[in-house]
Amino acid sequence: MSNHKALNMFGRSGNPSLNAQTFANSAKDANFSNYVPAATMTLEGTVNKTGILLALVFISAFYTWSMFFSTGNPATVMPLAIGGAIVGLVLAIVTIFKKQWSGITAPLYAIAEGLFLGAISAIFEAQYPGIVIQAVGLTLGTLASLLFLYKTGIVKPTENFRLMVTSATMGIALLYLVSMLMNMFGSGGIGFIHSNGLFGIGFSLFVVGIAALNLVLDFDFIEQGSEMGAPKYMEWFGAFSLMVTLIWLYLEMLRLLAKLRSR
Amino acid sequence: MDANTIIFGGISLLSLAVFFYLGRFRASSKQTDREDRIDWSSRKFSLWKIFLYSLVAVGGIILLTQFI
Repeated sequence: MSNHKALNMFGRSGNPSLNAQTFANSAKDANFSNYVPAATMTLEGTVNKTGILLALVFISAFYTWSMFFSTGNPATVMPLAIGGAIVGLVLAIVTIFKKQWSGITAPLYAIAEGLFLGAISAIFEAQYPGIVIQAVGLTLGTLASLLFLYKTGIVKPTENFRLMVTSATMGIALLYLVSMLMNMFGSGGIGFIHSNGLFGIGFSLFVVGIAALNLVLDFDFIEQGSEMGAPKYMEWFGAFSLMVTLIWLYLEMLRLLAKLRSR
Repeated sequence: MDANTIIFGGISLLSLAVFFYLGRFRASSKQTDREDRIDWSSRKFSLWKIFLYSLVAVGGIILLTQFI
């Protein structure tokens, strides 16, 4: 005895034109397969939202940057820098677990991270003049180059690619955490990862490479999200994930250039 | 404005233009028609494997630092 009332009443249809593929085929015939409802994720929407987040980062970074150069004292910007970093971290965690809130948390994250980046960049710039525009140029150059390589199909992310990049990213995060804990307990941390020797520069180059490969994963996530018609708020989440990677890449570029300059 | 600012400022602006232009287009069929694409909706992505590889990498690097 079937549990379905319709089947009990009418019996299973023997009509060969009614099967699981009926509606899929009719959508194809009517060329509905290209139809995307207004409230789903699009590439254009994600690019626009990335532009908004980039603008917010630049505006809030300019605030702490100009504050540092008007006083010349790092102590004036450090509370904003540390506050921005902590608030940014909290907002990033909230955004990852509550993707529906991305429309609010992602812009706030961009503003908080901008305060942090502006202060850090100003301190680096005071020590090594011209380093910030180099790091910005190299970061955005990497973004454009990898987007081109992804769009043309030269770089093809697979499951193994994701496993490799994610493992390396986690490894780097763990290494930084171990180094920070060792520093806190006065053992000097893991020496060579912060040094300006060949190993230190090699390590920084490796980290920059892994950060850049994370961009490819972000592009693939955004591309597939828009193909599958993900909800509209995923545009903000896609832009947010791109910003997280870009900010990490920029900071690693700054560290690498500082190591090269200090030799 | 010095040469450094002009060169890297130019690279930044050009890269942003490329990003905003290319970003709106779909990836080529070489990218989208592959059988081995990442399945972002899948939940079977092995976190334990990632954690294991990460631990091995970190352990290796910390051991390496003892000999440098």
